[in-house]
Amino acid sequence: MCGIVGFLDKSGNRQAAVGQTLLDMLSALDRRGPDSSGVAVYADRGADACVLRVKLGERGPFETLADEVVAQVKRLVSVSAVHIQGPSLRLVVTPPEKPESLERAIEAVGNSVEVVSLGNRLELVKQVGSPANLETTYAVSSYVGTHGIGHTRMSTESRVDLSHSQPFWAHGRADVAVVHNGHITNYHKLRRIYEQQGHRFYTGNDSEIIGLYLADRMTQGASFADALQTSLTDFDGAFSYLAASADSLGYVKDPFALKPLVVTDTPAYVAIATEEQALRSALGDDFPVWEPGVNTVMTWTVERRDREWR
Amino acid sequence: MKDIDCTGKTSRAINQEIRHHIQAGETELRVQHPQARHNLGVAILQPVSLTMSGSVGYYCGGLIDGPRIEVQGSCGWGLAESMLNGVVIVNQNAGNSVAASIRGGTVVVRGSASSRAGIAMKGGTLIVQGNSGYMTGFMMQKGAIIVCGDTAEALGDSMYEGRIFVGGRIADLGNDAVMAEVTDQDQEFLATTLAQYDIAAPASFQKVVSGRRLWQFDKKDFDTWREAL
Repeated sequence: MCGIVGFLDKSGNRQAAVGQTLLDMLSALDRRGPDSSGVAVYADRGADACVLRVKLGERGPFETLADEVVAQVKRLVSVSAVHIQGPSLRLVVTPPEKPESLERAIEAVGNSVEVVSLGNRLELVKQVGSPANLETTYAVSSYVGTHGIGHTRMSTESRVDLSHSQPFWAHGRADVAVVHNGHITNYHKLRRIYEQQGHRFYTGNDSEIIGLYLADRMTQGASFADALQTSLTDFDGAFSYLAASADSLGYVKDPFALKPLVVTDTPAYVAIATEEQALRSALGDDFPVWEPGVNTVMTWTVERRDREWR
Repeated sequence: MKDIDCTGKTSRAINQEIRHHIQAGETELRVQHPQARHNLGVAILQPVSLTMSGSVGYYCGGLIDGPRIEVQGSCGWGLAESMLNGVVIVNQNAGNSVAASIRGGTVVVRGSASSRAGIAMKGGTLIVQGNSGYMTGFMMQKGAIIVCGDTAEALGDSMYEGRIFVGGRIADLGNDAVMAEVTDQDQEFLATTLAQYDIAAPASFQKVVSGRRLWQFDKKDFDTWREAL
């Protein structure tokens, strides 16, 4: 049992209060999962800037480690800003030519060091604890942008720490992130296939495979919507998940209809959440909601609704 | 008409307030700003009228016997679950498992219903004015489901008994669900039931019932069983 939320502004406002909306929705769902929480918010930063988030470890102090990571990053790209927020190091860097090489170089600094996210538009923060704690550490309510996703977790089968928190960035694919409620029951099988291909897994969390799958499909040339669509047949289990890319948001609803998800699609925005009360407490009463049918995928881009799959 | 404002209150506090007013003799109650909270208006055993001025969450009107509940927004999972008697009307869409296991009474969804509508119904009537989702009537045992619009895959899967009427298109039938002829008695039931809730009847209805092949195990039906379980 977890809570997932998504929001996309359709009004053309590039600075919508996405962080505040996601936080309001997550707060209404926090009893669905008090273990950890996080959001991914997409905003304009110009073509020359990327946000790089690095987890330094589970416990501090992190200063020395942070210095070493920054020094390592500076060998590959130029760095224009450095902040430490809790265990998370945030760097604004120039876009790397090969994101994977940058990741490997950073992670070589220490065993506890992991790249949490990389993107031109993506800002991803997460930690152990409730959405209220997330706001205290990261001031999520101040994040503006075009769209975003959020998660509040009740762990059912893997550890509770920052690495196992969601959203998961799709390692190796800038800007793609996912939040998931449910189980991918063929996770171990898929994981073995990816490991044989040399992919690194950071957690024992089945949700991690979704980002990896989407990144893999998109690297092979699939569109964001196509990658979501094929995941319906490639994943087994009862799952509802949301995915986002630099300009898109989409949901995937499993073939068994065992994990709740409600959607509203108004002229001004699209909002999706595990329970309706998230939408009502964040956005009011003046719109209809519905549950997507089984085996369905729908994606939206920040400008227009893309297409419907059935 | 007695108003109850949900703002800042838990579902438990709201339900206690509802009970308190009913015990004091109120027969008409209005619950304001429910904001899709779960478990509202459960276990009410008196013939009162309850209006939810907005959307409700899971299990609204569960375990009731006698009241009339109108939800002016939409509802989450398990609306009117295990109702003995009463009327529950939702003006917009309904979540999964609407009217789950009801033994009597009527549930009306003026919008569309999601998956497993009327699951394990043991009596009563479920009316869906719009479309109905995956596995509508799954394992139903008695009663009637009327869907004026279309139904999604696996309609009436593993149903034991009962009648399902569909005014629109049936995507496909579930295990051991079979088409049946609509009788004059059925026509009369449909006309009176829909008229009671001011619902215009579609031009015609198709009827789905149990094929009764899953009642006993027969080796010949092994493939059907494997699919059903």
